[in-house]
Amino acid sequence: MVVFTCHDDFESMMTCIYDAWAARLGHSNIKLRVEPIEEPELFCEYRHIHPDPEKYRKVIRSIRSKISENAYQDVYRASMHWNPDKLDIIYRFLVLGFAMGPRVTRMLGEPYVAALFDLDRKVTNESHQFREFIRFSRLNDQALFSLIEPKCNILTLVAPHFADRMPSENWLIADKKRRIALIHPSDKNYFLTPVTPQELAHMEEARKGDTYSSLWKAFFQAVGVEARANYRCQRNFLPLWYRKDMTEFSR
Amino acid sequence: MKIKKEPDLEEKLKILSDAAKYDVACTSSGVDRKGEKGSLGNSRACGICHSFAADGRCISLLKVLLTNHCIYDCKYCINRRSNQRIRTSFTPEELCTITIEFYKRNYIEGLFLSSGVIKNPTYTMELMYRTLFLLRTRYHFRGYIHAKAVPGAAPEIIQEIGYLADRMSVNMELPTRESLQLLAPGKSHQAILRPMGQIRQQIQDYRLSIGKTASMERHFGNQYLAGNIFSSSGEKSRLAEAFTGTLPGGSRGASEAAVTGPAPSPVPIGGKAPSPKDSHRPFAPAGQSTQMIIGATPENDYQLLKVTQALYQQYDLKRVFFSAYIPLNEDRDLPALDTAPPLLREHRLYQADWLLRYYGFQADDLLSPSRPDFNIFLDPKCDWALRHLELFPIEISTASYQELLKVPGIGNKSAWRILQARRCGRLDFSSLKTMGVVLKRAQYFITCHGKMRYHIPVEEDFITRQLTQNEKSSLWELEHPRTYRQLSLFDDHFLEAAPTVEDSRKILTGQL
Repeated sequence: MVVFTCHDDFESMMTCIYDAWAARLGHSNIKLRVEPIEEPELFCEYRHIHPDPEKYRKVIRSIRSKISENAYQDVYRASMHWNPDKLDIIYRFLVLGFAMGPRVTRMLGEPYVAALFDLDRKVTNESHQFREFIRFSRLNDQALFSLIEPKCNILTLVAPHFADRMPSENWLIADKKRRIALIHPSDKNYFLTPVTPQELAHMEEARKGDTYSSLWKAFFQAVGVEARANYRCQRNFLPLWYRKDMTEFSR
Repeated sequence: MKIKKEPDLEEKLKILSDAAKYDVACTSSGVDRKGEKGSLGNSRACGICHSFAADGRCISLLKVLLTNHCIYDCKYCINRRSNQRIRTSFTPEELCTITIEFYKRNYIEGLFLSSGVIKNPTYTMELMYRTLFLLRTRYHFRGYIHAKAVPGAAPEIIQEIGYLADRMSVNMELPTRESLQLLAPGKSHQAILRPMGQIRQQIQDYRLSIGKTASMERHFGNQYLAGNIFSSSGEKSRLAEAFTGTLPGGSRGASEAAVTGPAPSPVPIGGKAPSPKDSHRPFAPAGQSTQMIIGATPENDYQLLKVTQALYQQYDLKRVFFSAYIPLNEDRDLPALDTAPPLLREHRLYQADWLLRYYGFQADDLLSPSRPDFNIFLDPKCDWALRHLELFPIEISTASYQELLKVPGIGNKSAWRILQARRCGRLDFSSLKTMGVVLKRAQYFITCHGKMRYHIPVEEDFITRQLTQNEKSSLWELEHPRTYRQLSLFDDHFLEAAPTVEDSRKILTGQL
């Protein structure tokens, strides 16, 4: 068994798929994993793949032309999942997709299509939830900033939404776990950039100083109806896990 | 009552959101609007909830009253004139600043503006108009605005607000004329239906003027459902029936009060054509909605559902909301103060409401004069399916969209996925499960390639027993959200006092 491994970013993953395919070892004889590999298996040969823009573009082009635009978007979203098996699922999905053409996205009866659909659904749902639950803070009319810690890498998926919503504001969203930030300067395009732990700690401290957070907390407390109190229902819609960076639940 | 000092902004927000919290609707759905450089905000048709309050209801809009002064004395209302409460109001600038700042921090999706009636309805709506006008023009706000229309206000001001708001709503308050007279002596049924008719007409005019259909868009699945409540063929006969007043419960009057009234006719708008300023603004693009209080008056579920259906058909409402009555005031005409809010009943009505809007059911399919109330143990769709076992089991690989939707446990997303997936391959029960079908309920009603999941007799008694066993515990929790639980040795959720020194000594000596 040969295991192809690569870094956890879209470009490397696509290159990895290209190389795994081009190695001609037979689909059943290979596996694809994203790094880090925590428990190497016995009797496996590990090959690390470096990202290559040429190969990466080729893979994307063939997904879009030979399967469909939808399939490409599904694959992109699935690749943002936290699960290290995602790459293998995407690979198997593509094997089927290149044989079947555009109808592959509807073949939910197939295990790998269903698995990709599951990844895609989780990432889509999580990015929607972060669209709802991201909270910005602001000090003295400076830029709006937000700290989040999502399970899936959803920054690029929520970006268009906020860029459309606040085109003429300076804002940034920082992912604490992956240490990247999405920065949107007013009236310009947004971009991704790495952030240091010091910057994160600084923002963490700064968000306590927002004057509107106490108004929001007051509203949040006042708007619930005591006679209908139902914390379980609240937890169903807004799991505790999402609450750690939300203004209304912070102390 | 004299207020010594003017409350500060935070106190005002507390008072006025506390006063508005009994309004049900907090939806931000129904309109897609892109953002624009130089302005703030956009809007998504799917709606976005930004938080969930302790009662489990979503917070998507900043739901406040402009003022809690009120000239009316509605018996069920917290803001009734005769209640001694601190009265206050927002200035338009205050409210605009809060909305904008909250919006930028992604706390809210927009503003839900309602108000107590100050001086008279028209004056109240003029105040609301001033706020919304500022928000849209000076603050360049493009987010969602839900505005209440106050019954009795001049049609001109309702029209003006309609051009600023995304959704308008007029509260029905109570489903029948008699109840309204009893509990809200200042309001009249006619006065409530008039603005509703006007808004309907103007939405229709606007939609026709931009080349859309006269009636609001509904879920795309509805076009495949014969006899749904929105299809025009079904509508006519049902309307005629509703008008003749064939409602049960010996109250012809009740049904009339509910659904008749002036058929929505163009309301004369004092000869005032929309001014050029308005022409590029849509009129309430997300439609209108309404809400009714349930449980304060003796109407049964059948009457409520009939009224709901009639409202959808005649006034083309986007949503009808139900609000379980919460006793706030003591009055001889109201239920006692310790009455629990009928949450389960409200839940059943919402379930039925969804069946009307998405699943092609009619009110008369679900309930009838002889069975006027919902089954408390089973949801309306299971209940319906159990009474129509002759239609089941349904074969997954050949059934139509409409047939699939009638199966308990299959919703419109999973029905759609089934339709797509079965074109390309064989489906089995496990793949149904991954598609989102709730097999716990669906397994009794479907076959997959001629086989049921288990060897199940299609018998009403057996299936009912199976289904209610599953549901019982969750229903209990719905009815009793905060209640005692079985004692467990290892949990200490309700233990509030910390153990004292003596306690620990007792533990050591084995006394405890």
